[in-house]
Amino acid sequence: MAAAVSPLALPDHIRSQWPYTPRFTRANGWRMHYVDEGTGDPLVLLHGNPTWGFLYRDVIPPLVAAGHRVIVPDMIGFGLSEKPTREHAHSLDGHSANLVALVRQLGLERMTLVCHDWGGPTGLSCALSNPERMRALVIMSTWAWPTPPAEFHTRIFPWRTMHAPLVGPYLLGRHNALAGRGVYLSVVDRERFRQRAQAAYEAVLPDPATRLLTWTWPRWIPLDEEARAKARFEWLEQGLARCKVPTLIIWGREDEVFDASTFAQRFKRLLPHAEGPHLVTGRHFLQEDSGPEIAALIIEFLGRTPRTGSQ
Amino acid sequence: MTAAVTVVERPDLTGKRRALVLTEDRVGHSPEFRDYFVRVFDLDRLGLARPGYLVAPSGGVYELVFVGRSGEAFPSGVEINAIVDALEPMDENVVDRDLWAILRWMIAGVGAPWSVVDFDATGRLYRLPAIRSTQ
Repeated sequence: MAAAVSPLALPDHIRSQWPYTPRFTRANGWRMHYVDEGTGDPLVLLHGNPTWGFLYRDVIPPLVAAGHRVIVPDMIGFGLSEKPTREHAHSLDGHSANLVALVRQLGLERMTLVCHDWGGPTGLSCALSNPERMRALVIMSTWAWPTPPAEFHTRIFPWRTMHAPLVGPYLLGRHNALAGRGVYLSVVDRERFRQRAQAAYEAVLPDPATRLLTWTWPRWIPLDEEARAKARFEWLEQGLARCKVPTLIIWGREDEVFDASTFAQRFKRLLPHAEGPHLVTGRHFLQEDSGPEIAALIIEFLGRTPRTGSQ
Repeated sequence: MTAAVTVVERPDLTGKRRALVLTEDRVGHSPEFRDYFVRVFDLDRLGLARPGYLVAPSGGVYELVFVGRSGEAFPSGVEINAIVDALEPMDENVVDRDLWAILRWMIAGVGAPWSVVDFDATGRLYRLPAIRSTQ
């Protein structure tokens, strides 16, 4: 039922950028990989589709050096975590519950959740359902409301065609189009990405069956009244409007899909107490272009944020 | 090119094997795709009784197995098998080009707002080998 990828399968030049001890736990029965570095109040760095913890490789060292415990899980279906091979194994609530399972197993308190892409809906669901564990939120290139996230996501070309029935398994499954060229098109310095990082995203999705979540997540984006996740996104939007957790908004200046003027500003209206949006060089995968800058913004922000929480 | 994919009756499978080449768990993600298969293969009448068969541009035969799932409209899923010589490896490049043609045939049949023009453009954007070979 599941395909495993050993950390040892990573190419040497990827391993050299990802020197962290692999750790594994069970979340709702699935084998979840994560790294856990440093000591201090925990930050949990959440990736989305089709990436894995490697996305944060330039963010982790400065945060650890600044005295934080940094936990970076790979979502079930991505990275070095177990990869279910049936689409019905995946749901938005299921992925949120997987994160909640990890948080509770590790006993995390005074936690900062750093949310990107599908790490947004899952991480923010975790935050709203575990408010006593929260210290702060960081929000980057994501959304949390029941209408389509962007006009881009309603278009037949290329978005809806890319994951249409049978086309998704062909294009994103057989040809790994999202982890390869898809991410490449969504960074600013594409040549640097091609040389340093692209292989890391492709290597952990080596076979068509391991790539299932790359076309499953797009199908969870609510486009109409019948959407499976519509009620959850309504709950998210309503909950965020009442949320008082200190929040930092960081966005890619060149992000043309989740553009800052629409998305970052909508988060700002939902969370008027939030700091930002701080714009950094980056398209959707802004960590690829501005990892150290993002880390610096988080460190400065947490330096000004009270250490509240249940402990 | 879409005309090069044709629906055929069940071929003689003696000396052949079914090689699974593409699986779709959720054909109803866009219901018009499911409706297309129902229409072309008479699935409202035949149900699970038999698979559908296509001949692709290479001359290769492909079997479409329709999958039912409790609580969902039929079919909920589709599996595509290449029908190949029983003990011979298949030519993966040929299969890949055939799958591209079958998907093109499907998109053309489903119709607006889906279009072969957008499908081809998506293939070009992601630099698929199959579309490069047709240019």
